[in-house]
Amino acid sequence: MDVVDLARLQFAVTGSLHFLFVVLTLGLAPLVAIMNTRHVLSGNPLHERMTRFWGQIYVINYALGIFTGLVMEFQFGLNWSGLSHYAGDVFGAPLAMETLLAFFLESTFLGLWIFGWHRLPKKAHLACIWLVTLTAYASAFFVMVANSFLQHPAGAVEEGGRLVLRDFGALLTNPTLVFALPHVISAGLMTGGFVMFGASAYHLFRRTAEREFFVRSLRIGVVAASIGATFTVGFGFAQFGPIGSVQPDKFDGAVQGAALGGMILIGELGQFVVLFALLPLLFRDLLARWRWLHPVLMLMVPLPFVAAIAGWIAREVGRQPWLVYGRLRVADALTPGMTTGGLTASLVAFAGVLGLLAVVDYALIARAVRRGPGLVALGAPDLPAEPAPAPARSL
Amino acid sequence: MEILWFGTLAVLLIGYFALEGFDIGLGMLLPVLGRTPADRDRLVGAMGPFVLANEVWLVALVGTLFGAFPILEGRVISGLYPLVVALLLSWILRDAGLWFRRRVGGASWRSVWDAALCLGSAGLALTWGMALIAIVRGLPQDALFDPPGIAGGIVVAAVFAFHGWTFAAWRLPGEPVVGGRRRSSPALLGSACVAAAPAAVAMAALASPILDHAAPAATLTVLSVMVLPCVPIMVGAQLWIWRTFARGAVPTFF
Repeated sequence: MDVVDLARLQFAVTGSLHFLFVVLTLGLAPLVAIMNTRHVLSGNPLHERMTRFWGQIYVINYALGIFTGLVMEFQFGLNWSGLSHYAGDVFGAPLAMETLLAFFLESTFLGLWIFGWHRLPKKAHLACIWLVTLTAYASAFFVMVANSFLQHPAGAVEEGGRLVLRDFGALLTNPTLVFALPHVISAGLMTGGFVMFGASAYHLFRRTAEREFFVRSLRIGVVAASIGATFTVGFGFAQFGPIGSVQPDKFDGAVQGAALGGMILIGELGQFVVLFALLPLLFRDLLARWRWLHPVLMLMVPLPFVAAIAGWIAREVGRQPWLVYGRLRVADALTPGMTTGGLTASLVAFAGVLGLLAVVDYALIARAVRRGPGLVALGAPDLPAEPAPAPARSL
Repeated sequence: MEILWFGTLAVLLIGYFALEGFDIGLGMLLPVLGRTPADRDRLVGAMGPFVLANEVWLVALVGTLFGAFPILEGRVISGLYPLVVALLLSWILRDAGLWFRRRVGGASWRSVWDAALCLGSAGLALTWGMALIAIVRGLPQDALFDPPGIAGGIVVAAVFAFHGWTFAAWRLPGEPVVGGRRRSSPALLGSACVAAAPAAVAMAALASPILDHAAPAATLTVLSVMVLPCVPIMVGAQLWIWRTFARGAVPTFF
């Protein structure tokens, strides 16, 4: 492999790992916020337990979203400094807004929500998780604005060999953004729903003591997956029009064609099963009672993740050989002077460390699911303000 | 307008050193101050609620660099290539230590992630010191790891350790983990100034080259219009963290 292939592989690996965790974050955040709202409004302890259990899954998943996101942010400067040189005056703006307006607030409010149990007034604590959800969506918005600019560099003109910003509004109304953003957000909801009904099916199948808890969770999961799948598929097909007008031969290659086909297959099949089989079976909790179906629900959990990665492969490989479509080639955006040795070392280091931590994180999520709502660290009691006195020693 | 965004960059870097400095310092001192697992839980619990709000200053710093000084972003980050890779790996290791240490009950599990937290913190301090020296010297490619760079790393590690200890003695006053000593809020402010000094010196030394590389006025105007109205919310959220977690019981999630 040459330097271009290695740098592309590094971005593909870290980007794919990042999105595996981000897609679940985007889906679980509003669901946890809704559970927390029901807890605050009703005072029902079951809703508090649901908020803490699913909130813990959300938070464990969140960790890897941060780790991989850090590498993503710095990678532009490390390997692709040609991009900031040629297009940074335009492309940098939405990324700067993402960090300042979205992630800065998201991280701060998430800290308040995780550590603020028993400490913040209930309504202020609830406001934090809604602000986390809102800023997570804002984050997705700005990242998609930046990505859409690479697909179709609207609002910019070339002057003296560099792109300059002419119309910021055109970045926000980019035809490759308007349907892709709701597609991504809905795919998150679909993924959150699949994870919720899969984990609930595990407990119902095992006949654990938490039947009511997981019958309700199963219901929320199936409803969220139904809404998510419907809008994901709808906004997916809606993108063919705008893509056809700005990137007419986007899906002609073998890789992007196969990825697109795989994603559409999973999306349509998933939507069909969720809408026409699982949703009707919520009637009289048939789905919760039909135990033979539960292994199928568990096996369905990886599907939205596979589809999400396939979707990004179709979108990004379909942009090749351009980094900024029609303006800057990928090969011309590499940082000058990079060696295959150096790039291999950083690729192995990032992929190795992040891959290992991703495996640990998924094992921890599986463990948290298996242990159930009885043993949840999120919202557990604090350590006392005074440390425990040292045990008295007698001679 | 360039001056406004240079000011933002300076505030973010100095703020990162003043805030994240105590998390990194305390992380390095974890095996020294926390001799027992219970002691380490208290020390990590003391800084835990602040970390997410502190580390994000660096994310915002790099975002600002990309938005307002894009040519510099590419040049500085790629010019520091091996240091940036080491810094990222240290940061990830430190964060993994925090997020994972209490997820499984066993003592050996927790000591593995406490070691990651300590090593990651030390790596962060050392790479930051080396990076500042390299930036001030104009990114010499063959001299990232030479004696002046290593000296810079040791200085930053020392001021962060001092700041981390002061934070522990301020948050857990009179407790055995800090040898029964206490530090007042003005003392914590003082140690924050010491921790931020290397960043402030570097920004002062680099003011004119940074100002020469600002993005054009059209970009800076859009950034200002979008970001400035939200600054009160960002400041308010940070202050809310300090109001909520400065005193009282020690949270347990990290």
